[in-house]
Amino acid sequence: MAGAGGGGCPAGGNDLQWCFSQVKGAVDEDVAEADVISTVEFSHSGDLLATGDKGGRVVIFQREQENKSRPHSRGEYNVYSTFQSHEPEFDYLKSLEIEEKINKIRWLPQQGAARFLLSTNDKTIKLWKISERDKRAEGYNLKDEDGRLRDPLRITALRVPILKPMDLMVEASPRRIFANAHTYHINSISVNSDHETYLSADDLRINLWHLEITDRSFNIVDIKPANMEELTEVITAAEFHPHQCNVLVYSSSKGTIRLCDMRSSALCDRHSKFFEEPEDPSSRSFFSEIISSVSDVKFSHSGRYMMTRDYLSVKVWDLNMESRPVETHQVHEYLRSKLCSLYENDCIFDKFECCWNGSDRMVERVQYFKL
Amino acid sequence: MEVQKEAQRIMTLSVWKMYHSRMQRGGLRLHRSLQLSLVMRSARELYLSAKVEAQEPEVPLPPARSPDPCLHPPREAEAAAEVAPCDGEQPSPEPMDTQETPRAEETPARSAQRPAKVSRKRRSCSLSDGGDAALVPSKKARLEEEEEEERASSDVLDRLQPPPAQAEGAFPNLARVLQRRFSGLLNCSPAAPPTAPPACEAKPACRPADNMLNVLVRAVVAF
Repeated sequence: MAGAGGGGCPAGGNDLQWCFSQVKGAVDEDVAEADVISTVEFSHSGDLLATGDKGGRVVIFQREQENKSRPHSRGEYNVYSTFQSHEPEFDYLKSLEIEEKINKIRWLPQQGAARFLLSTNDKTIKLWKISERDKRAEGYNLKDEDGRLRDPLRITALRVPILKPMDLMVEASPRRIFANAHTYHINSISVNSDHETYLSADDLRINLWHLEITDRSFNIVDIKPANMEELTEVITAAEFHPHQCNVLVYSSSKGTIRLCDMRSSALCDRHSKFFEEPEDPSSRSFFSEIISSVSDVKFSHSGRYMMTRDYLSVKVWDLNMESRPVETHQVHEYLRSKLCSLYENDCIFDKFECCWNGSDRMVERVQYFKL
Repeated sequence: MEVQKEAQRIMTLSVWKMYHSRMQRGGLRLHRSLQLSLVMRSARELYLSAKVEAQEPEVPLPPARSPDPCLHPPREAEAAAEVAPCDGEQPSPEPMDTQETPRAEETPARSAQRPAKVSRKRRSCSLSDGGDAALVPSKKARLEEEEEEERASSDVLDRLQPPPAQAEGAFPNLARVLQRRFSGLLNCSPAAPPTAPPACEAKPACRPADNMLNVLVRAVVAF
């Protein structure tokens, strides 16, 4: 990783101590553009950490078993698997290059020995199966140990192949490729609680997929205006509810969050709930519209709350109250007076993510990758 | 005057960023284009309102103009809104607002969908696939606002070279200057890596052309 940071804002107000546990990758200044990490995602159990970079690669780290002789040390993460998820492509109709940069990774809930994850670039989502192999069968009848076929006429006895241990090999294989469904750049994917469907969101549309079906998706949200001159906001993030498979939320560049219920209509253009905090006139500035854009939205594990991240703050919303958040935490308020400089060096366009920890005490994840 | 210069600088910067974003891999980003156009619109409102104030000193203005133009442009816009109806001779920001804002938001989206057709447009810009699309209005709007923009951009004219024959866009003089700079750059072969534009505090509002040139040269190298 070129750089990573973390901050804690516990909902209960207790003090947390934060420290760097590990730094992976090049720490010096010379980092290749392709190695810059563009997304990170823990698995549900936390034993695997998947990272995607600008070069289209996915690197998965696995946490080592905690050593009993050192009970207070956290398990270290070491490289588990590396594979090339996406390659650069070219859209001939639009004469546009499609970047291989991984925008999002989402793990599927574990249902067997193999692990599954979804990774996406701007246009294509892929389902990857990561499986371990630590045994090898030996003693085949029809072929030699080196793989050459044996002459059937020379086989005089039959034997049962036996499994012998081998060095652990982690294989990643693409199982599904979901393509050609997005005109604009994909910014979010979210696996549904039914473990069968997932959504993908771009700037103006959200599509619903079935994990088994790649040639078809359903559009459930479309905010593209009939006349593009009237465009005022875009979708910035979307997520399914953790328990109710019919509920999803999506955030916009205007700082609003809409909750939609797929039972109400096939096309969820009309929201069921609309979350917006009135703007404080005293804090209005030249760049208010940019910094109010919500860059990430995450449901709590309980499903009762959701957290949103804009440029300067993190807000916790109660789904039952649309008028204002229940908590607001200023992350780096000191930057408010420096917005002009941040606009010049493009830092004002950085997108931050946020996530809850296991007990729903809020955790904020700052992702400045190139510092 | 400082407010005007600052707004102008922001506008120039935004245009540069729009051009820069088109050169990036992956094509135009709709969200980024929208954000840039919002800043552009705010800067333009600030610039025009400051210009109106500068030209009409006898009209009573709201007190305490903010020392930091970056942070308090809405007050200037409100001042302009109050001033403009008082004097019908001055260009009102509102009509231009409704004409230009949709364009600023339209053209990034349009070009995202039709980049291959840009070269067939009648306006023969050297930035035909570049960032001036956001400055190029529809034909109808051009006829109405062209004379207003000439007046509004007179300060820019004073510092820069005389414009070529074709007048285009919401900021015709600004666009022409940038076009001239870009057309020279696209034939260059510089070797320096790209850097960010100079810091807010370090440069005067209307930078000498060389600094902009260096920045643009480096941008071309990168892409």
